[in-house]
Amino acid sequence: MSGGTPVIVLNQNTKREQGRKVQLTNIQSAKTVADVIRTCLGPQAMLKMLMDPMGGIVMTNDGNAILREITVQHPAAKSMIEIARTQDEEVGDGTTSVIILAGEILAVSTAFLEQSIHPTIIITAYRQALEDMLEMASSRYSVDVDTNDTDKMHELIRTCLGTRVHTQWNQVACRIALDAVRTVHKERGSDGQAQEIDIKRYARIEKIPGGSIEDSCVLDGIMINKDVVHPQMRRRIANPRIVLLDCDLEYKKGESQTNVEIRQEEDFTRLLQLEEEYIKTVCQAVLAVKPDLVITEKGVSDLAQHYLVKAGVSVLRRLRRTDQWRVARAIGATICRNPKACTIVLRGPSKDILNEMDRSLNDALNVARNIVLKPKLCPGGGAFEMAIAHAVSEKGKALTTVHQGPYRALAAALEVIPRTLIQNCGANVIRTLTALRAKHAGTEPEDWMWGVDGETGKLRHMKADGIWEPLSVKNQVLKTATETAILLLRIDDIVSGTKKGGVEGAAAAAKAAANEAAQPAAGGDE
Amino acid sequence: SAMAGNANTSNLLMVSGERLTGESVRHQNVVAAASIANIVKTSLGPVGLDKMLVDDVGDVTITNDGATILKLLEVEHPAAKILVELAQLQDEEVGDGTTSVVLVAAELLKNAEELMSLKIHPTTIISGYRLACREAVKFINERLVISVDDLARDNIVNAAKTSMSSKIIGCDAELFAAMAVDAAMAVRVADGKGGHRYPIKAVNVLKAHGGSTRDSVLINGYALNCTVGSVQMPKRITNAKIACLDFSLQKSKMKLGIQLVIETPEQLELMRARESDLTKERVQKIMASGANVILTTGSIDDLCMKYFVEAGAMAVRRCKKIDLKRIAKATGGQFVVSMTNLEGEESFDASLLGQAECVAQERISDDELIVIRGPKSRSAASIVLRGANDFYCDEMERSVHDALCVVKRVLEGRQLVPGGGAVEVALNIYLENYATSLASREQMAIAEFARALLCVPKQLAVNAAQDSTELLAQLRARHNASQVKKDCAAYKWFGLDLQEGKVRDNKEAGVLEPAVSKIKSLKFATEAAITILRIDDQIKLTPEAPPSHGGH
Repeated sequence: MSGGTPVIVLNQNTKREQGRKVQLTNIQSAKTVADVIRTCLGPQAMLKMLMDPMGGIVMTNDGNAILREITVQHPAAKSMIEIARTQDEEVGDGTTSVIILAGEILAVSTAFLEQSIHPTIIITAYRQALEDMLEMASSRYSVDVDTNDTDKMHELIRTCLGTRVHTQWNQVACRIALDAVRTVHKERGSDGQAQEIDIKRYARIEKIPGGSIEDSCVLDGIMINKDVVHPQMRRRIANPRIVLLDCDLEYKKGESQTNVEIRQEEDFTRLLQLEEEYIKTVCQAVLAVKPDLVITEKGVSDLAQHYLVKAGVSVLRRLRRTDQWRVARAIGATICRNPKACTIVLRGPSKDILNEMDRSLNDALNVARNIVLKPKLCPGGGAFEMAIAHAVSEKGKALTTVHQGPYRALAAALEVIPRTLIQNCGANVIRTLTALRAKHAGTEPEDWMWGVDGETGKLRHMKADGIWEPLSVKNQVLKTATETAILLLRIDDIVSGTKKGGVEGAAAAAKAAANEAAQPAAGGDE
Repeated sequence: SAMAGNANTSNLLMVSGERLTGESVRHQNVVAAASIANIVKTSLGPVGLDKMLVDDVGDVTITNDGATILKLLEVEHPAAKILVELAQLQDEEVGDGTTSVVLVAAELLKNAEELMSLKIHPTTIISGYRLACREAVKFINERLVISVDDLARDNIVNAAKTSMSSKIIGCDAELFAAMAVDAAMAVRVADGKGGHRYPIKAVNVLKAHGGSTRDSVLINGYALNCTVGSVQMPKRITNAKIACLDFSLQKSKMKLGIQLVIETPEQLELMRARESDLTKERVQKIMASGANVILTTGSIDDLCMKYFVEAGAMAVRRCKKIDLKRIAKATGGQFVVSMTNLEGEESFDASLLGQAECVAQERISDDELIVIRGPKSRSAASIVLRGANDFYCDEMERSVHDALCVVKRVLEGRQLVPGGGAVEVALNIYLENYATSLASREQMAIAEFARALLCVPKQLAVNAAQDSTELLAQLRARHNASQVKKDCAAYKWFGLDLQEGKVRDNKEAGVLEPAVSKIKSLKFATEAAITILRIDDQIKLTPEAPPSHGGH
């Protein structure tokens, strides 16, 4: 019995890694992901050129866009890429920061793992630190904003966007973004509905080449990129009555499969007649409400057009459903005077420039939305991170338990943001960062607003220069990065090649079924 | 020679395959069981860690739950499979303690093998184990339970916290434990015998990535991850009469392959009219019964949508079947599969409708959800979980499910036992003394059973990187004192404190587990071990080559 044949318990294709090694490879792969986009942070960010398998090329410096394109093998790296998406969907900004920060948090954890501090202790400390950071962020290290002051808001959005957006277009983008967000902003309703700003659904961006950038504007209402279906229809209607349809103005065949056997010629004519009659009744029903404009999601046949033209009604057909929603929301009960949906028209010399404008406008819209929803700002340029890092680190000194180390390490990890900013603009990292730290240790009330100028690498006072970022973005970065680090730190075992409706499982099942089928047959033979 | 032996037996049996008998099969089974226990043992306890499971497509699951880990592993060995099923059974019956049940079962097997090497017959071991298990259960019930008749909320919350302590949401156990208890209380129904049942399946757990763990919320009502069918519909209906349907409301259509042959054009027209009328009549019947909220698993076409919009009703399509079944139950309605009645005609009776105070589409966190509040026959609760990414949310869902199960067990069983290895050590002392009092062959088996139980506190200490020998010795001394000395009785609540590496009064510290789950896991582990112990012969057929004849 001693020795003997090895007992095979798991499928032999299963690979398993355990213990310290797993923790370290997880951290390593998370760091690798962070390193890929490290140079994409700040005003001196560089673009990445990504080639897909088809040979297509994408050039971007948007963290989320880069990570979406690259394929990763390691499961921990996948988890990292997921968080960029979460960040993008949640606040639409800070995707690069969240990855860099998560990578750094994991990197500082390595030291504790090597000192054999149990991961659960590190995690508890991180949680505590996260809570404290969020609390400090909203109570001490942010400033309130008055969202009703239009000039101030323009200025804020512009500074929040910083250098991300082309300068000439900057002013326009801010104006448009604020207008659009205000238009679709729905206040907290009396019926308990939370306030909402749904940019995706109710603010549509239409791009029309031609004209100059300054001609772009927010239409106070809806623009639909469609022409009337018939040239003789009216193109301008003041105070129109609009009918929104979700059905065809065409003859539709029945759902069931039908064959008609025709024996006489009259029958055929009659069939055609029936179709015409149908359209006529439908059109009459529409015309009965005396509309000036009919908009439908589906088609309109030539015959129906004819009837409607005769009645002097303009028709738009084959609208997208989302457009229809916006139209409904805009004209609904409020009769176009106070619309809650809008269309943004972008003008520009070429399609590429328009696309670029579209992207940056989206950033601006997100910034505007975040500020309106949570009117708190914090200084940019790494000042916020530095301030929080300093405060949390100080607070951590009072901890008496073993949690102190990881608690303060999380604070130290935050310095990666100013550090990367300095790195990316090529300044002396150690000298600048030390100087910045010294500034933050100062006693003046606004010393915590010192940050790094991402272009020159010099220290700057963020309030004086008006460089701000929405607090909601920063908060989400902190939350997501810390929680991902926690998730990955808790893992001590990776088993790959498990089933889950895998191909092999299916094949085995099929084989088993075949065997079963074969057995009764054999029994029959006997 | 082994090859020859195999060939011989296979010839005798007239099938091709392998056969293992006696000691070697027993040994293999024990090794297999031990290796399964090895896989899950590091996830035990508040300082246990998680496993990352990657399937062949590359999808990732991160979990701490023993049953989930074993379910995803491709276990091949037949004896090991029994342990996987054991974990599954524990998950279904109790919902928590899946890891420890596997550990105990594997340890029982290991100790049994030692006895067998001393030439003690398996049947003796089996009857010893049975006896030990029975005594253990009796001892728990008589001496170790803490009754929660007064239903002190603290105790219930503590039990939920104990279950969560090992999970990813362990740091936020306060928040989630309270949430789980509130949710379970919300779905309480009377069982007609003066007590209550807590069908925790009625707690709907939804996941949305984004935000942070602490942004998770409990919603007082049943939340559906759907939106109203048309933007023109009302977003809020009070005094809702809810129809739950399991069919589509769209233009009726003949089954595939049926052809209608029509003679005259008018008939075609008639047929078309009938097609839309059929559904129209259905909708009218539903509306006539007074329904103002229509939920269906199927689709609703634009035509029907229009009828509902005109009637001011709220219609929601493509709901999940399981959701609708629960909603029907909660609102006192019925899940309607077909409108046809016994006479073969279509009808819709008002009694099929469920009722609720209010149905509204609300924005919760970042999603639009339909929330049904104040259902008529029983209340409902939903939990929306938030987390950094989808893996995180999935694991949170599993942890919350475990906690809900624990709360349910506590509320229904009304009995708690101290956690942190206290029960195992107490049983160990008791059973050892009991074994000594028994003058039969079973004595050794019972002593081994007692020893096997220690694997749980031992593993807890090992996971926390504490000195397990030292801690166990302290703990056993306390429990021994509690059982022999009258004035030390309070020592029986002592268990491990894994953060500090000390022993402490776990009743006071609030580390509690439902008694039912402890008792069941003991029974399950014993039964599984016995099942495997009874095996002394294993025949494995080589898979037959797929039939190559092409006759049929």
